[in-house]
Parts: sequence; structure tokens; C-alpha cells
Amino acid sequence: MNAPVREALAWLRFAWLNTLRNRRRSLVTVSIAALGTAAILLAGGFALYTYQGLAQMSARSTGHLILARPAQFQSDEDVPLQHGLDRSAELTTRLLADPHMRQVLPRVEFSGLISNGDKSTVMMAVGINPDAEFAVKGPFVTVQSGKVLASARDGQPSLAVMLGAGLARSLKATPGSSLTLLASTTEGALNALDVTVQGVFSTGVPEMDQRLVYTDVATAQKLLVTDRVSSLGLFLDRMEATDPARERLAAGLPGLEIQTWVQQAPFYRSVKELYNRIFGALGLIIGVIVVFVVTNAMAMAIIERTREIGTLRALGTLPGQMLQALALEGMVLGGAGAVIGALLSLTVSVALLIVPVEMPPPPGRSSGYPLQIAIDPTLYGFTLLAMLLLATLASAWVARRTVRRPIVDALAHV
Amino acid sequence: MSAAPTSAEQFPAIELRGVRKTYRLGAHNVPALQGVDLRVARGELVALTGPSGSGKSTILNIAGLIDHADAGEVLLQGRRVHAADERSATLLRRDAIGFIFQGFNLVPVMTVADNVDYPLFLAGLPPRERRQRVADMLAAVGLSEHAGHRPDALSGGQRQRVAIARALVKRPSLVIADEPTASLDSHAADQVLDLMRALGHAEGAAFLIATHDARLTDRCDRIIGLLDGQIQPATLPAAPAASLEPLQPALRSPA
Repeated sequence: MNAPVREALAWLRFAWLNTLRNRRRSLVTVSIAALGTAAILLAGGFALYTYQGLAQMSARSTGHLILARPAQFQSDEDVPLQHGLDRSAELTTRLLADPHMRQVLPRVEFSGLISNGDKSTVMMAVGINPDAEFAVKGPFVTVQSGKVLASARDGQPSLAVMLGAGLARSLKATPGSSLTLLASTTEGALNALDVTVQGVFSTGVPEMDQRLVYTDVATAQKLLVTDRVSSLGLFLDRMEATDPARERLAAGLPGLEIQTWVQQAPFYRSVKELYNRIFGALGLIIGVIVVFVVTNAMAMAIIERTREIGTLRALGTLPGQMLQALALEGMVLGGAGAVIGALLSLTVSVALLIVPVEMPPPPGRSSGYPLQIAIDPTLYGFTLLAMLLLATLASAWVARRTVRRPIVDALAHV
Repeated sequence: MSAAPTSAEQFPAIELRGVRKTYRLGAHNVPALQGVDLRVARGELVALTGPSGSGKSTILNIAGLIDHADAGEVLLQGRRVHAADERSATLLRRDAIGFIFQGFNLVPVMTVADNVDYPLFLAGLPPRERRQRVADMLAAVGLSEHAGHRPDALSGGQRQRVAIARALVKRPSLVIADEPTASLDSHAADQVLDLMRALGHAEGAAFLIATHDARLTDRCDRIIGLLDGQIQPATLPAAPAASLEPLQPALRSPA
């Protein structure tokens, strides 16, 4: 072991011994630092888990990338699919050649009326490729009755729909019921199509369930009398591939625009912004509390040891060495608290994986979600480092005046 | 066997020339030292006596480089040090000056050995040499078996012996001792006095001791009386050293 390391360890040992002088005070300081650290890690882990969950949900809903004509993203349509994509099958084949592309899913979005003969109501309809959609996304809706849609055979429309639970209730529709879809065609004429209810689903958002209708792309195109699609959802092999893939693909598709799932997820962005502010303020408050506690503990310890500090200075300890020794004491207290807090947070996070706890439905949702805390090494590393730094700097700040005090005065301190 | 004196050894351990010091107490100026001239040779034990407020502690503080004189010169082994800045004064104290305090001032969380080792640690000596020197010094003060104890497990006399070991372990040219026997009973005080005298002579360290203790002044080479910040005519006591024989082997341990 070389001399500087040996010296550093000696000062650290001295700091450790000093923290044991008043064990009750040190215990209180370490406990508060531990609770503060655990609170930051649990709150931060919860926020991260929420971000990750929303990100996965958003990307799963729209695709990691969304390809459409620029006007589709920028302006409203005068008639359905005014800004839609032509030759979507050809585009899909090209896009699937990308090594990171898992699937390309077409979407035909339109609105209109849905009627049971006695009652008509507004619908928001989406034409999808059901087999591929469910294969890529998994169970992205909860089927309450009936079954999921199947893709059209040989490009023929299935003339089947899935209804949101609220809409089905409104129309008194059940699986097997016959309904009529009414919408404007791409030429502006009104068209109608008789369809059969295949299933009833819930998205978890009651407002969506009141209006949403899923059908297959061919049925939607038949109703709108077109072969266009609104957009293509590009599903990649992993989230991290999103931005590179966007740059790579955009270069080869002039006249088209590719947006990422983040751009298509205002809910994700607003939740993240809100949580960042809430948990940022929480972290700041906890940090201030920890600084005050460490400062108070060190101030008392230093005042009690003023004469000893004077003695050590008289024996030849440089002011910088003395300051370092006292700062290390704060670091030991803060470090011990941070490590214990991290272990506490880790224990709670793992316990929640083993014993799930269900949270109540958030506002605007009809289903709850599991309470889970993300264990993120970066968050842990940053929080531990911040706690160490705060405690060290707080101690140094408190110690500086006593360390600079004239030795004669310090030795005369009672 | 003694080597030829080095240049530093040819000078007094400490010399004060015309030193003045005034303290400001509120609106009043209180003169503590009024032109003090003082020389202490290496190996010499000098007692500073006088009533409270006569300037004993001020001389110790200035000679120990923990306070500055307002005027005059301070020479440590012939080197002018009165204008030394904070860092230089600290390094001079670290290398050349030991301190013994009335209240012992040991670090309670350190063992006896660690307390004695502290000045050597500051000086950056290799661990092996530090261990040897600490062992030798603890043997010299008769506390080898207490090396691993904390100071609060020792008696007052033992603690002051630890403080003496801490002051001398780095082989300083000057030891500043402020009332070193004031907190001790007579038996412990006798032991401490014999030890300081023996080790001082053996190590060639000058002792500048502020004291009211007549037993101590009897053992010093020179007594300097102070009154109102001025040195009074000195007396030179006969200083029959107590038997030092038991201490000599440890004191002659190699450097």
C-alpha cells in the first residue's frame, strides 16, 4: 500500500472513531440520512418505473416509430385519409428489410357513426392488421366478451368489429350483434357497411371505451373506398434502437416523415414533466433536511472538541488536514446513512416484486396498476454520491471556522 | 558517543529578542510582554515562574509558534521564525516543537500508542520506523503494557507520561510545557518531573516550562521569574537529577 493511500485510510479511521464518540447523536444522524436516501430512491424508483411503463405502453400502442406523410402530423384532414399513404404494402416490404425492424403495422384512422338500427352514436374507428397487431403488442386491450379480431383472408374484408365496453353498452351490442358503420368516403360521399360484433374490450380509459371501434384494415378501406392507410407503425427490436433507426430510415424515405413514439405520446411527456417536478422538489427538500441534520451533528461535535482541534493543530496538523479529517466525519455519517438507505430501498423494491401491491386506478382510468419500484443503478449511484458529497461539504462548511480559529483561543476553549 | 554538532545544534533551541505582546480587551490594551529577551540552550530545562498574568503563557505561546509577537524576534535553532506564515509555523511545530499541556490533551478515541504515534504520522515517517519509535518511547515512559489502552483507562500521571512521550517521540529541539504537574498528585508529579528531565537531557530537547510547582523548579536548570511581562533577575537552582539509571537503556535506543 503506498503512502498517500495509507494516510487517507488513517484519516478515515480517525473519522470513523470520532463518529463513535457520541453514538446516540451519530445514530440519529445516520438514521435520518438513511431515511432520506431511501425516500429519494423509492420515490425516484417509482417515477422511473412509471416512466418505463408509460414508455413501453406508448411505444406498444403506436410503434417505436410512426411513418406518415408530413401533413398527417401537421394538419387536419378535409376528407378521410386525405393525407394517407399510398402503396403501403410496398413500403412495408422495404421497411421490413431493416435489421432492427420486427413488424410494420398499418393503421386506418377514421370517424363516423355506428348504429344498431334504433340508435346511432359517434365512433372513433381504427383499422388494424389484427393478427400482426396482437402478435406484436400482446394483449393490449382487455377482452370482456367474445373474441379478438382475425385478419382478413386473401385481403377480403372480415366485416367484423370489436367495440369498446362503453360503446357496446350504449348500443346494447354483444358478440354476434349486427351493426352498421357510417362514414364519409375519401371522395366525400356517405357510405355504410354492415358489420358483426366479434368482441367487446376495455382499454382501461372509460372515455376511450365510449367511442373506440377496432376493425381490420380491409374493412376500413372498403367503408372509406380507398386503398390508403393513415400511417405505418414501425416496431423495432428494442427501445434504444428508436433514434438511430429514425435517422437511418428517414434518409431513405424522402417526402415522408417519421416521428418517434415520444412525439406521439403527450400523456407520457406530461406525466414525466409533472413527476420530475414533484420528485425533484421532494429530493431537494430531503437533501436540505439531511444537510441540516449533518450540519447540526457536526457543529455540536466540533464545538465539543474545539480544544482537541487546537491541540492537534499545535502538534502540527495543517488546517487543510484538520478540515479534511472533520469533513471525512461527515462523509462517514452521510455515507453510512446513504448505504443503509440504499439497502432499505432495495429491500422494499424486491419485496414489492415478491408480494405485489395493487394501486387504485389513477384519475381517468378504470383499472389499477401494480406498485413497483425500479432498481436503477444510475439512480442509486447518483443518490449515494450526492448524499456523500452533501454530508462532506456540510461538515467542511461547519468545521472551517473552528479549524481557522487561533490555536491559543482553541486551547483555552472550555 | 556524540556526533559533531550540526549547524542547528550550535544555536540555542529557542531565542526571544525584545519580544513584545499586547492584548486588546475591549477598549483596553493590556501589555502581556514588554521586551522579553530569552535564550534556552538544547537540553536545558528552564522554568518560567510568576503570578497569573505575568506573561508565562504568552512566552510559551510565542516560543511554541502558536501565537505571534507584536514586536521583536523569535529564533528557533538560529532561524528567524517570528514572521512565519500559518503553514510554515505549522510545519516548524510539526518538526521541531513538542507540547505538554496541563490537562494532558490526549485524543480520547486514540489508543496510547496512536496518540504517541500521531506526530510521527504527521511527519510522514515510514510505518516500521514509527512503530519502533513509539515502542521505544512507551518503554522509556514505562507504559509499554498500556500501548493498546485508551487514555481514559489511565491515571493522571500515566496520561501525562503519554503526553511526554507524544511530545518527545519526534525528537524535537524544544518542548513547551504549560503547568505539566498541576493536575497530578505529588507522587505522579515526581515521576513526570524525573521523566522530563531524563528524557530532555537524553534527547537533547530544551524544555520551556511554565509552572507554579516548587518541586518542578527545584529540578530545572534555570528559573526565570516574570512579573508584569518582564523578566526578573534569574536564579540558578542546584538541580540534582533523580536517579536516571532505569531510564537510560530506553533513552539510548537507536534513532
